[in-house]
Amino acid sequence: MRHATFLARATALALLVVGTAACPTERSEALDPSTLPDDVRADYAVFAHTCSKCHSLQRPLASGITDDMEWKRYVAKMRLQPGSGITIADEEPVLRFLHYYSRREIEAKTQAMSPDGGPQ
Amino acid sequence: MKRLLLPFALLLACAVAVAWPAPAAALDRNFVGSAQVDYSLVPTHHDARTFPNGFDGFTTELAGKIAVDFNDHLSANMKLCFGCHGFEADMMYFDYRIRDEINIRAGRFSPTFGAFNLRHDPANHRTSDKPLPYDMGRMLRMRQWNLGVLPSPFPDNGVEVNGTHAFGARTQVDYAVYAVAGFKGASGGSDIDFQASRSPSSYYVDNNGRPAGGGRTSVAVKLGELSDVVLGASAMYGTYDPDNKLSYLIYGGDLTLRLNRTNVRIEYLARRTEFDTANQAAWKYTIAPQRGNFFVKHGGYVEVEQPMTRDLDLILRGDGMLRDGNVAADSQLSAHSTVVRGTLGLAYVVIAGLRVKASTEVWKFSDTDETNRTFELGFHAGLVGTF
Repeated sequence: MRHATFLARATALALLVVGTAACPTERSEALDPSTLPDDVRADYAVFAHTCSKCHSLQRPLASGITDDMEWKRYVAKMRLQPGSGITIADEEPVLRFLHYYSRREIEAKTQAMSPDGGPQ
Repeated sequence: MKRLLLPFALLLACAVAVAWPAPAAALDRNFVGSAQVDYSLVPTHHDARTFPNGFDGFTTELAGKIAVDFNDHLSANMKLCFGCHGFEADMMYFDYRIRDEINIRAGRFSPTFGAFNLRHDPANHRTSDKPLPYDMGRMLRMRQWNLGVLPSPFPDNGVEVNGTHAFGARTQVDYAVYAVAGFKGASGGSDIDFQASRSPSSYYVDNNGRPAGGGRTSVAVKLGELSDVVLGASAMYGTYDPDNKLSYLIYGGDLTLRLNRTNVRIEYLARRTEFDTANQAAWKYTIAPQRGNFFVKHGGYVEVEQPMTRDLDLILRGDGMLRDGNVAADSQLSAHSTVVRGTLGLAYVVIAGLRVKASTEVWKFSDTDETNRTFELGFHAGLVGTF
């Protein structure tokens, strides 16, 4: 009986791990640097390094923010969190990358909504 | 009925804040959340059930947070979470930033202590559980140990002044000082009652009217384009009983090193807690006439987090606690009890926003339990979503 209970629980645990990990979907919270323009890669590296210290990159990338002023306020707020470790030197490259990323998101959305740019 | 009022009020406030039309002036709102379901298995225990000394089976942690920036100087944060202890107002505060060096925070928040608490949300750390010094219920034998040194998060009501000053582009110093209600415990108590401290059943009202105080300072140095180090020190002092006779002092230091994609985190903290000695029979050992009215619980961890691919992180962690001092007469602990744990974990991104966490833990206790065991093996499998 004890073995049966253990087996059932171990199976549930294994299913949870394997089942979710085996989902054949597009993934990655981080961007693939090779898909970025050359002049953006260094900025992205600073962004990825800085913004993954306390939370996943999904938080800023999926936030829906596209306004530069809002990003500026957001990044300053993160920098000023006690113990964030984000320095003033980090702000500029991070904001440059977020500007690029926001423009890219807006373009992608615009293209998807245009009559000939949507899904076929 | 009253227990439902708080979560209902908070949910309603969240809904109103999100749905309220933005005025013409810039008002930035950011709504984020996370959910973690974790399955814990302890096969070494004689009947593979650890409750009430540990949560064995599925546990969930849910959280929703809204941050509102009114302008460059004023912002508000509200976070509601649900865990093993029910609904909790984790954040409900305003930040009034006068300049980088002076920010006034008022409301309900976790006072700044240590390095881990910034990452206490399950979406923000890569293992299902927290380092032992900050454990809030996932450790084995949690009742005997009364959780970690400082169970995280530790939201409280009060005021904090914090700030940052940059010395050039690569170095900056942070500080925080605060006064909060403080932890709670019974009159004539033997330790802090963490459940009572965070329970909304007493309407988050202080039990002794005397604030607890503390602070933290840290220095961050950028070593290279993708490398930095943060060194911090924290302390907190207060009384936990209604009569203000029993004090606690928590202190610690932390080091966070980031070398390219590798994260190394080292943290130590200790809590000196006074207890009531009026009833000698309540204690296992004779009360020493000098310095016999307190115990010290030390805790520390070393953690290395190494991304293996863009989607897979490897986590290695060693952590432990040492409790020095008298214990309750019926306790399974001794005057010098230790627990050491080694963890090997993996975190894997299934799809952007969804991550699988799996870890194996090896536990070694200095004291035997009721079945004469000192060794345990544990497994965690969790799924955490974030937005």
